[in-house]
Amino acid sequence: MDFYLGLAQIVGVHTLLGLSAYCVLLTGQVSLAQAGFFAIGAYVGAMLTVLAGWHIVPAIIAASLVAGATACAVGFPALRVKGLMLVVATLAFGEAVRLFFFNFDYQVAKGDVKIGPAGGEGFRQIRFFPEHGWSTLDVLIFIWLFVALVMGGLWWMDRSRAGAVLRAVGEDEVAAQSAGINVTAVKVAAMTVGGLIAGLGGGIFAHYTAHIEHAQFGVALATFAIAYPILGGLSSVFGTLIAVVFVQGFLVEGLRFLGDWRNLLFGGLILFAMNVRPRGLIDAATIAAVKRIWTRNREPGNARTQGAE
Amino acid sequence: MIKKSLTLFATLGAIAGFVVTSPAVAQERSVKIAGFGAKSGVVRVFGINSEAALKAALEQINNAGGVTLGDGAKGKIALEYYDDRCNAEEGISVVRRIASTEAIIAVGPTCSNVAESLFGILQKKVGDSSDSGLQFPIIADVAAKGGLAKISEWAFRNVPSEFEMYKSLFAWVKTQYPDLKTIYGGVEKDFAHSNATFGVIKAQAEASGLQLLGQGEWLLNDTTFSTQVREMKRANPDVVAISAHPFTTCGVLKEMQRQGVKPKLLIGLTSSSSIETLQGCGVQAEGIVIPTSFAPVTPEAVKAAELVAKFGGSADLHSAAAYEIGFILKNVIESQKVMGKPDTVAADREKMRAGLAALKETDGLLGKVGRTADREAIKPFLFVHAKDSAWKVLHKPGS
Repeated sequence: MDFYLGLAQIVGVHTLLGLSAYCVLLTGQVSLAQAGFFAIGAYVGAMLTVLAGWHIVPAIIAASLVAGATACAVGFPALRVKGLMLVVATLAFGEAVRLFFFNFDYQVAKGDVKIGPAGGEGFRQIRFFPEHGWSTLDVLIFIWLFVALVMGGLWWMDRSRAGAVLRAVGEDEVAAQSAGINVTAVKVAAMTVGGLIAGLGGGIFAHYTAHIEHAQFGVALATFAIAYPILGGLSSVFGTLIAVVFVQGFLVEGLRFLGDWRNLLFGGLILFAMNVRPRGLIDAATIAAVKRIWTRNREPGNARTQGAE
Repeated sequence: MIKKSLTLFATLGAIAGFVVTSPAVAQERSVKIAGFGAKSGVVRVFGINSEAALKAALEQINNAGGVTLGDGAKGKIALEYYDDRCNAEEGISVVRRIASTEAIIAVGPTCSNVAESLFGILQKKVGDSSDSGLQFPIIADVAAKGGLAKISEWAFRNVPSEFEMYKSLFAWVKTQYPDLKTIYGGVEKDFAHSNATFGVIKAQAEASGLQLLGQGEWLLNDTTFSTQVREMKRANPDVVAISAHPFTTCGVLKEMQRQGVKPKLLIGLTSSSSIETLQGCGVQAEGIVIPTSFAPVTPEAVKAAELVAKFGGSADLHSAAAYEIGFILKNVIESQKVMGKPDTVAADREKMRAGLAALKETDGLLGKVGRTADREAIKPFLFVHAKDSAWKVLHKPGS
């Protein structure tokens, strides 16, 4: 059972990572900086619990705020460029963050051992969960509370004017601008929200893995971050969740027994999924179909409703 | 027709009854252990070799009658091996999966970055009820970064002390090559083991009186090394020490050959004293000196190398550790009277942990292996050098 609970924890953390990219993708921007924000959240959150002795809740909120502020600061210069140039700019930022932590050494003596980030060797003993007696289920509930909060927030935003504005910018910047929308402000806001969510996910990730190092926050993680919402579809926040379950639950865990073939199948199955569902696993048509079925089943006089009566 | 069917059923029933009540089958039990490591990705060879070595050791044990369990019954040791792709998150997931099976111990991981995370999620101190960390014994065969076992009392290692190895190597260099004055380092910077060991190499080189002229850095997935080697050439050192795994070690050595860099002495990382280095760049590696805890220099080591090869692996200092672990586990299972039953899994895991913690000495392929209080191994080692595309023993410290 612990294994499945642990797997659900991974899905939760990766969902936060994917949702951070989802916000930015809604505005039509492809950002590879999410791994950098995730790393900032991880290091800040871990330093606050391990070095400053904070409780994990304020620590990851602070981590989220620091990552969000960084995303806001990065957003202004980075969003002056578009398309492929933005991909390169955000990739460069992500790598700069990774290399910063690669060289970041801040250890303090605690008893006879030194704790804290140790450059390339990483930051070990981030043990808030076990040290405070949290069971695997406790950790799972904790993670999914935040996932639910973020998903709920984004779901609500999607249905509000803010969501419409984000999508308008994503669909056609010029049209959005001519309609009086401040495109730069919208893009920076989306980047900031994405940074907040990535920082939150990073803070939790550090405590889940108990050890972090620069190599975990490289291009591969940045690619996964944008792959989740693209694979899942940008029509709904639930698409990202479905994609994370597909990748982490099926491709990574479910196919583990295949050994080296797993890597080959991994890419192949994603390609297949993108070909079969080019607009994502959950696209607008799927949502409309689900709504139609839902509405039909709830109509008075419907066969299933009558049966239920 | 009905009569025929009844006869058939009766016969099948009798066979089934015999099988179920047969004393030989009833007493045949298996003790489950798990192995895990990188079986895919750049360092997949570590997992492949470790799995082969474990299988080779267990075949020896099982063919010799298996293990004697706590109630006197004989049992076989069964192994299941998992791929963690050298990824910390996946390593955690794999160990949680293993812990949910009847495995009483896990052997692995092969990557130090995975060990860092894994040992971090284990209970730090045994019996500490306030610590909800995983209570599952793990013994590492390959993860070589220094000081990992002290992270948790459930963590053990059978890897050599690289600090002692390089200390001894540079002391030997000082006596054998007194005219060597300068050294240049090269490090695969993004891999926990090579990066940490480079710190050891650098410190020991300087302690032995060598002057460090500089260092080149690259990453595990890098394929071009011209800039780093150009810097090395410019420094013109007497000694070049490369702290990198076989893949990039070969890349650097080939680039050194291309640029005509010929130091008087080449020193390599422990992990590169493997067949992969010889297969990848045997010519360019000619003369490189590496301390290792394995070489086929004893009858046991020769036999182990042959058996590991039979299972599709190669015996080196890492997989030899896995081979030794197979026999260590057999001894612990017997000394701790492990039961190997589904309802004794938790108790058997505690017995395995206690048994490993109590060990003061184990049998190794090169001789006796000491055990330290912080659950590490003190393994005998020797220096090998690449000669005619083979590893030959150059010096045995203490001989």
